[in-house]
Amino acid sequence: MKKISLTVNGKLYQVEVEEDMRLLDLLRDKLGFTGVKEGCSEGECGACSVIMDGKLVTSCLIMAFQAEGKEIITIEGLQKEDGTLHPIQQAFLEEGAVQCGFCTPAMVLAAKALLDKNPHPTDEEIKEGISGNLCRCTGYAKIVSSVKKAAEYLNKGGK
Amino acid sequence: MSFNVIGKSVIRVDGLAKVTGKAVYPQDIYMDGMLYGKTLRSTVPHAYFTLDTSKAEKIEGVVRIFTAKDVPGHNAHGVLFKDHEVFCAQKVRRIGDPLAFVVATSEKIAQKAVEAIEVKYEELPAVFDPVEAMKDEIKVHDGTSNIIYHYKLRKGNIEEGFAKSHVVVENVYKTSMVDHAFLQPEAGIAYVEEDGTIVVCAATQYPHFDQLEIAEAMGVPAEKVKVINPAVGGAFGGREDITLQIHLAIAAVATGGPVKAVYSREESFVAHSKRHPEIIKIKTGADKEGKLLALEAEIIADTGAYASWAINVTRKSGIHVTGPYVIPNVKVDAYAVYTNNPFCGAMRGFGATQVPIATEQQMDMLAEKLGISPVEIRLKNAFTKGSETANGQILTESVPLITCIKKVADALEMA
Amino acid sequence: MELKEVIKARTLEEVLDVLDEKGEKAKVIAGGTDLVIQLREGKVNPEVLVDISDVAELCFIKETGDFIEIGAATRFVNIKESPVIGKPFKGLQEAAGHVGSPQIRNLGTVGGNICNASPAADTVPALLALDAVAVIKSKQGTREMPLEDIYIDRGKVKLEPQEILYAVKFLKPQPGQGLGFVKLGLRKALAISTISLAVFVERGENEVIKNIRIGSGALSRFPVREREVEDFVKGKKMDNTVIEEAAEVFGQVLEKRLATRPPVEKDFKPYAIKGVFKEALNKAWQRTK
Repeated sequence: MKKISLTVNGKLYQVEVEEDMRLLDLLRDKLGFTGVKEGCSEGECGACSVIMDGKLVTSCLIMAFQAEGKEIITIEGLQKEDGTLHPIQQAFLEEGAVQCGFCTPAMVLAAKALLDKNPHPTDEEIKEGISGNLCRCTGYAKIVSSVKKAAEYLNKGGK
Repeated sequence: MSFNVIGKSVIRVDGLAKVTGKAVYPQDIYMDGMLYGKTLRSTVPHAYFTLDTSKAEKIEGVVRIFTAKDVPGHNAHGVLFKDHEVFCAQKVRRIGDPLAFVVATSEKIAQKAVEAIEVKYEELPAVFDPVEAMKDEIKVHDGTSNIIYHYKLRKGNIEEGFAKSHVVVENVYKTSMVDHAFLQPEAGIAYVEEDGTIVVCAATQYPHFDQLEIAEAMGVPAEKVKVINPAVGGAFGGREDITLQIHLAIAAVATGGPVKAVYSREESFVAHSKRHPEIIKIKTGADKEGKLLALEAEIIADTGAYASWAINVTRKSGIHVTGPYVIPNVKVDAYAVYTNNPFCGAMRGFGATQVPIATEQQMDMLAEKLGISPVEIRLKNAFTKGSETANGQILTESVPLITCIKKVADALEMA
Repeated sequence: MELKEVIKARTLEEVLDVLDEKGEKAKVIAGGTDLVIQLREGKVNPEVLVDISDVAELCFIKETGDFIEIGAATRFVNIKESPVIGKPFKGLQEAAGHVGSPQIRNLGTVGGNICNASPAADTVPALLALDAVAVIKSKQGTREMPLEDIYIDRGKVKLEPQEILYAVKFLKPQPGQGLGFVKLGLRKALAISTISLAVFVERGENEVIKNIRIGSGALSRFPVREREVEDFVKGKKMDNTVIEEAAEVFGQVLEKRLATRPPVEKDFKPYAIKGVFKEALNKAWQRTK
């Protein structure tokens, strides 16, 4: 076992991790962030994506001990305490970009990682931004329009 | 008249839970003292086998290993035919057949134990080609023909139809096996309530039917089984057959504790059904103007080792092989056949998806031979309100196919 | 072997100490995009895992003298977005931009791309075309070798257990030079290359191709230089005839090389390479201007 500390959604955690544990296992099994989904375990589907130090990463490809000192954002960190949704979540809901929902948390985070860096993305840039996230219900058109709508909300100063 | 929902954009009821990551899929359920299950599956397509679980049982943390002899009721399930075994008793019929279910205190230990079970196979000749399988030289299920279904469609007189045809096109088309690859791999958790009710919580398309199948395998009345269907991460037909539901029920009853299982992506591919690959032999004839006169088709659907929905799927293929076109003379024979391949079942379109690959290419070729456009030949033959399908259905409701084709053609010209 | 110890290194010295002490028992992890999968599948079984992903000394893109040097733990995303590499060599950035997905590019490193020795590594053909040099360090010191020579076989590189790939470096672009990169895959994202190709050219007087270097991926057991094609082109005047003829030569080279491979390779690749090569060469030539 190895002791590490990391910040998840603004809160500092000090935890013991097994040597062979992945960041995905740590977040789900130990810390209870079950909004992080395991879909393929090899970086192909993107369902386990989280934002680490500002960058979108697949948590199935990171060993837990590697996350020492990192700042991580999961889907659980987006909604405000008073229940207000993040504009991206709001846009996904309004545009009907949610079907089975299994890709949704990571898709929302992919959109966040993109919009944090590029507040006015083109359709092509949105498609590249979510290109590491699979949606098998094939709701891509509505996901792209949600990201555009979210960009509008964010540029207006949030909704 | 105004409606609350129709014509309005409505936010889906489970949307909020899903965008916030709070929606609970079965793998998201963690219970106190829960045990973990892992399935041992066959690595050969057709064989008698014996198991030696003694080494695996000795691994620290292994609670129990379940095999066919531990099924309290009927060791069988299946949506139409009860041709699946909960655990294979003597014989495996495909790669991936379940042989045993290890329950341990951790997932890692369960996996280790699965690898420690010794399996001895006495391999049998296997059949992978459905055309070969139709000869019944190698039987996938003892005492049953591999041909499990023959759908016959006869309308008019095809000899006459082809004789009158100005052009005839004949080809063989093959479609491939397809996986649903829903994003959420199979997962579930089972426990027993104080009054003895068995609770199985799993992502499924068929909770009410799962209940019956679990009850029969457990040898208990249906009211003693409760199936909870939490959020389902996509299904597309791939969750209509039982996968881990009964294994979990058996393990929960025997160990008393909650037992959870989560399939890996790889196991998910092996465990659930596929889209039926079909061999479609088809002959289509039309007159000088491009009016269809006759169609003859033979469809062979490979259902793999188990029937699942093969009959319904194959029937649908047989009906839809005419395409949405009026044809006066039709003869179709569609067969569903067992092989030792992965089993096939429901998947989006349910048999209607495979056949247009043949039908529509035939249309293009007829148009080419006649020197007319692909749009024109379709407009000449398309179903409209009042048309009669080859199997005798009169289409009385809205049939806007011609409008649709015209709109597509216009859009293509503009592009 | 069971994984007993995991170390999050912060300095190069720390990494070299661990490798010196543990030797073959230790394995370096950076982006982990291949290694984590291999660990889980039991294909790699180290006793000690040393994480270099946050060793600042290994994460850099800088000019040193005549060279541009890239630290081994530099992420693909940093290469893709670097202002240091320069427009003529944009092909290297395109190669980095074609790796996997945004997630993979945020994790994966150029050193991992090299040391993993996959035939389909995307940045390696570009580095080969730039005639890059591998800089290798151990407690005993530093050594260099042409990147081309680092490969032994698919998945195998000439690194001693005590050594680590420190950086790759290549000469800065000079006027008249350009690098083009083209990748062929089943789809735009997360596709393992069917073919990846990088072409470096140097324009001489009267539109003569003074120098050309071609690096290929997924056409051999590991990424290689395509010298037969280079020799055919070198010194000729750049025009359509030369491009067409060189593409034919490339096709013939692959027909021979892939003759015993499955149909998807032996039939498809010699044909597809012609279009890929022409596109990469044209891109490179455009960038010489």
